[in-house]
Amino acid sequence: MNPNINPGGPSLWMSFRRVFALFCFLGRKTGKSRVFLLLGLIPVAIAVVVRIVMAGRSEDVVAVFNEILMVFYVTFEIVILSLFYGTSIVAEETEGRTLSYLTTRPLAKTGIFLGKYAAYVTLMVLMVSASLFFSFFIMNGHRFREPALYLMFLRYAGALGLGIAAYTALFAFLGTFLKRAILIGLLFGFGWENVVQYFPGSTQRLSLVHYMKSLMPRRAAGGPLSILLFRLEPSKPAVAVLILTVIAAAFLGLACWLFRTKEYLYEE
Amino acid sequence: MTAVIETKNLSKWYGNVLGLSDVSLEIESGITGLLGPNGAGKSTFMKLVTGQMKPNIGRVSIDGQDVWNNFRLFSRIGFCPEQDAFYADVTGWEFLTGLLRLSGYSGADAADRASRTLKIVELSEDKDRKIRSYSRGMRQRVKFAQAVAHDPDIIILDEPLSGLDPLGKRRLIRLVKDFQSEGKTIIVSSHVLPEIEAMTSRIVMIHQGKILAQGDIHSIRDLIESYPHMISLKCGDPRAVAARFVSDTSILKMSFGPDGRSLVVETHKRDAFFNRLQAVVLETAIEVEEITSPDDNLQAVFDYLVVK
Amino acid sequence: MATVREKGYYHWDGQLAERRFPWWPITRTGILLAFKKRGFRFLFAGAFLPGVVFLGIIYISENLESFQAMVRSSDRLINITPGSFKTFFTFPPVLFLMIAMMVFAGSGLVADDLKHNSLQIYFSRPLRKKDYLLGKMAVVFFFILAVTLVPGLLVYIFKLIFAGSFKFFLSYPWLVLSIVGFSAFLAVFFAFYTLLLSALSKNSRYVMILVFMIYLFSDVLYGILQSIFRTPYMALFSIRANIDQVGALIFAQKPVYHVPALWSCLLLGGICALSALVLSRKIRGVEVIR
Repeated sequence: MNPNINPGGPSLWMSFRRVFALFCFLGRKTGKSRVFLLLGLIPVAIAVVVRIVMAGRSEDVVAVFNEILMVFYVTFEIVILSLFYGTSIVAEETEGRTLSYLTTRPLAKTGIFLGKYAAYVTLMVLMVSASLFFSFFIMNGHRFREPALYLMFLRYAGALGLGIAAYTALFAFLGTFLKRAILIGLLFGFGWENVVQYFPGSTQRLSLVHYMKSLMPRRAAGGPLSILLFRLEPSKPAVAVLILTVIAAAFLGLACWLFRTKEYLYEE
Repeated sequence: MTAVIETKNLSKWYGNVLGLSDVSLEIESGITGLLGPNGAGKSTFMKLVTGQMKPNIGRVSIDGQDVWNNFRLFSRIGFCPEQDAFYADVTGWEFLTGLLRLSGYSGADAADRASRTLKIVELSEDKDRKIRSYSRGMRQRVKFAQAVAHDPDIIILDEPLSGLDPLGKRRLIRLVKDFQSEGKTIIVSSHVLPEIEAMTSRIVMIHQGKILAQGDIHSIRDLIESYPHMISLKCGDPRAVAARFVSDTSILKMSFGPDGRSLVVETHKRDAFFNRLQAVVLETAIEVEEITSPDDNLQAVFDYLVVK
Repeated sequence: MATVREKGYYHWDGQLAERRFPWWPITRTGILLAFKKRGFRFLFAGAFLPGVVFLGIIYISENLESFQAMVRSSDRLINITPGSFKTFFTFPPVLFLMIAMMVFAGSGLVADDLKHNSLQIYFSRPLRKKDYLLGKMAVVFFFILAVTLVPGLLVYIFKLIFAGSFKFFLSYPWLVLSIVGFSAFLAVFFAFYTLLLSALSKNSRYVMILVFMIYLFSDVLYGILQSIFRTPYMALFSIRANIDQVGALIFAQKPVYHVPALWSCLLLGGICALSALVLSRKIRGVEVIR
């Protein structure tokens, strides 16, 4: 036995760190990550094309970014990424029959789950941030000298990061106990989240996308597409951050509890 | 010797299907063979012992500590699962070092241990190849390597010899025996009886979720009173030998082989028969070429127990 | 030592009859496996709902007097023409239901065989690559045709029955061929589309995401490009829009997008050709690992 290993067993933090390191490595290696990275290049390509086609029309370029590309990120890319990686936390171990390699190590189960979650969220945040960075600064290149621009970028990146964390926590929770979590996730992510924005009243507040949009910088006068962004007065940014954080924490907590107490049997 | 692993009334159901029923065992250090056909409950038992499943009834403990959700125990346990499954797109080296780091070893220590373990299982030259390009036997060896690389006290091996060629099997059996001599506690499961026989004489026989018998293979055989022992003799004049035993009431049956040189005897009292045979051979000066017990092996014992 | 004959083995002097449809067992198994999933049974049943609604509309259109109280501007609202059939077949929720069925029933068709190394087992039987592919595609054909051709023809027949005359048939004698043709087109396209993605990965969960993502993304991309460039040719980026264009061509309707329908045919045909190429390379009895 390794004399350096604590005979009392690793703490939750140590378990988390070890699993995080392993899955950051494994997550980067898979072909699927490369496919999703390519997905992130599409907004960059569109940004380049738009800059060329709309040269000299800065206002229109900014409008395209705010009202089209950001909608793409918010309602499509991060939902797809979170759905795949979130459900993968448990599903890839049970489908791949590799769960025993983790659960027979001296690692707290909560640490295993949180470590994998954090690794995948980090991967996704890096992928989306890189894509966002290039597309944002390509389309807002004429404003490099404005400090407010960088704050705006950080705000967009923060909103997307928080959205990734919340969606991934939700889908990870679904993945801990549902066999077909992907299908339920697709219904939620592309069904409910899209449809609820057209419901009257405060129903929008029952969706994650509402809070993400509440964190985005808003244009003063809405163009024809702004109606797609807001049908209702958005929530205050602080409230939105709090709700997204609470949602992420709550679903993570439930998922960790389920992962710790449930038995996972491989399908024969 | 005190038991390292103890199970008390251990039972496990999969819905309505009984996986394991009322299994109470005390496993000491050394090699214990878990023997049974496919679906007997061997893997269920191993998953319960390694904390992957929770018992419905009963308890499984290691050194007095419950196993379920007790991850601290796992630094002492190495598990080689039955499934041929690995993380995608990793090399043997990456797989082993990754899992060693999960066990708490630093980068340098993990590399050192991985290097040594891969040498033991003869995969050093292939360590930088992706596991999915390995042959079945190589994959089995790397699976075994991850179970022993962190130097555990307790090694649980679920069908470790499956997929190995005869030479590979012999090497692995020798390795397992080396671990035994280091004082480790090893549980090996198999449905291939000669494999278990080659590793250990301490057997637990399991069938349909229940323990059929446990202990030394020969003493298990001796316990089966209702079935006579079979002893086969090859000699120059089997009928002369048979004539000497006809009046012996402990002999139940005698038959002669078609080659005219063999005699098969069934008796309740094996030791008494051998003593008598020694005397007969000396008296008659008949040259006995071969004496075997066709049913004094695991297969025969198992067959008897299952029918019983 | 006993000879083989003495042991009871006899050489069979008969002739092995070749199956007329060697792909049929693959298709049957694929269909049965899909129906084993409870969620899919609900989805399949739900996929007939648009057909039932269309049938209801047909009924109302033939009994307008009875529904006059409900329907104010009756005539123009429910005037059944080939365009109505085209609308039914290309209605976005109907296409979405087909995609959902492909996610459920089609994503594992090749992916699971790749994962479990089953191709060697298939090709150790008297089965050619095209039998295997045809068998898998026929699974998709079954499901797509069940929710397109079957309700389409039934609605057509009921239209004639409710009308009590063959006037509709005589007005549009080619409509039956259009229904069959467009259903067949949808079946073939979705078969190639689904099998292409299923062959790209051993992970059926990932394929589910791909099947859904690419279909949806193509529409999203069209929306983005359309709002930037404001040219109808951006519709060529959308699978749904291209299907719509082909539908307009087959049902002799005016295309929704001002793009020659032939371009849409070529594009979707190109996807099918790409699929055929990828499948012919991926479906092998032996996996080459580098």
